[in-house]
Amino acid sequence: MGSLPDLKPWSSPAEVTWCPGCGNFGILNALKQALVTARLEPWQVVVVGGIGQAGKVAQYVGANFLHGLHGRAIPHALGVKLANPELKVIALGGDGDMYGEGGNHLLHAFRRNPDIVCLVHNNGVYGLTKGQAAPTSSLGFATKHREAGTHVPPFNPLAAGLAMGGSFIARGFAGDVKHLSRLIGDALEHKGFGFIDILQPCVTYNHVNTPDWYRKRVYDLELESHDPSDADAARARALEWPAEGDSVEIPIGVFYRSRRAAYVTCGRPGQPVTNLRFDIGVVKKALEDFR
Amino acid sequence: MSDLHRPTGAAEVNLIITGRAGQGLQVISRTLGRMLVRAGYHVFVSQDVMSRIRGGHNFARVRVSNVPVAADGDKAQVLVALDPALVARHVPDLAEDAVVVAEAAADLPEGLNPILIPLADLAREHGEDPVMANAAAVGATLALVGLDLDGTEEMFESQFASKGKDVVKRNVAAAEAGFRAVAVDQKRCCQHRLPSLGTVPERGLSPERLLISGAEALALGAIAAGVRVVTAYPMSPATPIVEYCFRHAQEAGLIVEQTEDEVSAANLAIGAAFAGARSMVCTAGGGFCLMNEALSLAGMTETPLVLCVGMRPGPATGLATRTEQADLLFSIYAGHGEFPRAVLTPADAGQAFLAAQDAFRIADKYQTPAIILFDQFMADALWTVERNVLKVDNRQEPALSEPRQEERFFDSPGSLRMTDGAASRTGRQERQVPEGLEPYSYRRYEMSESGVSPMLLPGAPQQLVYADSDEHTEEGHITESAAMRLLMVDKRNAKLAGIRQELGAPKVEVEVEVEAKTLVFCFGSSRGVVSEALVRLRARGHSVAMVHLDHVWPFPAGAVAGLVAKDKKVVTVEQNFSGQLAQLLSQECGVRAAGTVRRYDGRQFTVAEVEAGLEELVGAKVG
Repeated sequence: MGSLPDLKPWSSPAEVTWCPGCGNFGILNALKQALVTARLEPWQVVVVGGIGQAGKVAQYVGANFLHGLHGRAIPHALGVKLANPELKVIALGGDGDMYGEGGNHLLHAFRRNPDIVCLVHNNGVYGLTKGQAAPTSSLGFATKHREAGTHVPPFNPLAAGLAMGGSFIARGFAGDVKHLSRLIGDALEHKGFGFIDILQPCVTYNHVNTPDWYRKRVYDLELESHDPSDADAARARALEWPAEGDSVEIPIGVFYRSRRAAYVTCGRPGQPVTNLRFDIGVVKKALEDFR
Repeated sequence: MSDLHRPTGAAEVNLIITGRAGQGLQVISRTLGRMLVRAGYHVFVSQDVMSRIRGGHNFARVRVSNVPVAADGDKAQVLVALDPALVARHVPDLAEDAVVVAEAAADLPEGLNPILIPLADLAREHGEDPVMANAAAVGATLALVGLDLDGTEEMFESQFASKGKDVVKRNVAAAEAGFRAVAVDQKRCCQHRLPSLGTVPERGLSPERLLISGAEALALGAIAAGVRVVTAYPMSPATPIVEYCFRHAQEAGLIVEQTEDEVSAANLAIGAAFAGARSMVCTAGGGFCLMNEALSLAGMTETPLVLCVGMRPGPATGLATRTEQADLLFSIYAGHGEFPRAVLTPADAGQAFLAAQDAFRIADKYQTPAIILFDQFMADALWTVERNVLKVDNRQEPALSEPRQEERFFDSPGSLRMTDGAASRTGRQERQVPEGLEPYSYRRYEMSESGVSPMLLPGAPQQLVYADSDEHTEEGHITESAAMRLLMVDKRNAKLAGIRQELGAPKVEVEVEVEAKTLVFCFGSSRGVVSEALVRLRARGHSVAMVHLDHVWPFPAGAVAGLVAKDKKVVTVEQNFSGQLAQLLSQECGVRAAGTVRRYDGRQFTVAEVEAGLEELVGAKVG
């Protein structure tokens, strides 16, 4: 094992405003380590953040960022990537961002398979709006707003991603930075939509899924000799959790990886459209069609 | 160049081509129209289309004149009915001596002047396909108006090149058969001979004319502005713009994305613009509703974004394929928070081509959204445009070798020389990091008097670019500082003054009538109808002139106040219920309209009804 990577180039003057002990610190740390390992320079990377505590990561990484709207990180990231494929683009947000407000974009991103990394900070609760249930809150999760607990079963992002033909489906845990950093590195290398659902404890609002709660349940797929090219096996693993009961176990790691071609669009292949020169001849020729 | 006076010798023929959806009406009207333009005429084609895929009742009006025309004509002299059952519905639209071309077997209403032709049989026999009844109808119509078949083959080739030689050949054969059926079999050639071209002076116009739809002109104008990313979720009346871009994506170097929804379309375009591509999103009023948050984001992040917003009658789904001008105020106020924008309202295809370029220039220069607000009528109509009107605007980019000192609109202490917007038509490699900028010292929202900051693109070596939806510092980091909030709000909104200056003042569009007692205000596609109505009113001694607004925001308040200073009566003509332009005049420059001629049934104004409506208002005393 080598020494810890030097994270200094990846620093931001922005004041970090998370609660002490927030799971986001682990994710930020893992992301920076992965970026260093990938030998990327901050100016080569665009981090697109949604809105919420997770989206703020965009401001803290020390790369270019587009800190946009709640739920819209994926369309923003897709736009950046289409316009200039030379940029490394990372879209990140919380469970409300990606599974609630922006759920439709996520489904279609799995289908479209653009070459971007998508990190979802899944803490099973809404933090910035002060503790409401999230799409991933477990059944019966009690909030101040609904003391009786949520009665809608949680969204299963990995199963949905597999059903939509996603090409890289993974789950990480904010409490295991080394593992998560390696996962993010794999997603950065993957040519296609590198999706990682990240289990993120929320120390303020989620008193069910605490760091210890997760630690007792997560297990690494790699140690179970899971074959990520096996879609059936991936589906079976994806359905293990969310699930009811005290004995559940939560797989982390790469569930599924395929070599499906990444999305390219029309335009001139290999050439970012932002590099094209204007050609007045195109207009002149097109006008002839109307004579 | 004015089409506001009709010279003596002006004459015209009006045709209506009617049928069911799916019978190829648009092919007939465009083919005929282009042949007539090539023969030297001015043509105006409008489409009346139902929101259905097959069946129903659709029709096109084709107006042919020896002088410029920019509105539908009155009664038609020729009705071509691909489905004879529809003839009865058009009887009120026909002139007394009108002829009706219809299927030989047709049972037509009494009192008409029919030319019965076995269109379907001719199509089957010569075109090997009954749908080519439309080509047979083209041939029949050419004979009726006294043109020959010269150029028919070339025209079908240019229309159907992608469908192969055989399709072209069969269309030509069907057209020839239709022509013969009128000219030879029925000896009805030249029943409504077109007016002579020689009687009207050319008036300095280029004889090179095009017949182009508003939507096509808008799309091509965007291509002329160097658009690189076009996004949309399909919605009438914006779809033809996107279709045109799709067809030309490869040669023009465009990315055209049909997204999962309008929210994605607008936000994808913002991401692309942030990365340096000139980006445009196309939609209609309903889709624009969904894009409001993105619009606001473009304002906050100071991202250049062009939005093509097509108006159709609402609220909600309304009349999906028809026309209205009821989103005027909505387009000006859409999006939460306060930020600058431009709203352009082109009248016709020529103006649309230029408006698209203006929109990109303004969006880029001022790093803010620009909206092209048009209506279904403008987008779907085919307009005769002089080739030399369709100019490619060279202000889109600086000379590559030297900075445009004269066009610097900011003067920052860091002396960055990035006078063009980052997403300018120029390729990205021409927009390097300026000399003298220390590594990692770029400030995206650097303060400036004009409100415009130098714009670098992400990917610039050793610089970082931040776009922030939160209120932010000059670097682009979140802040809740009250002082910074004030600076940033002022900075963003300062840009409006520059945009206002850039767009200039609207013109009174009748040079000799500067002293007119009544000014008629309109915007968008009403221009052609209003100008023609005013010609008729002036001929009857009324002192009226038109002020057409080709942009409504920033509202040219100073210029308008100047125009109406001298005891003039002001009226508006607009296709909405509440008189939105009149409200804007009152709000922005304290001008109270004496009345408004309105229409809101989803159909375009006719010249006659605007004339009648205005006569009532103009005749009244100044209140």
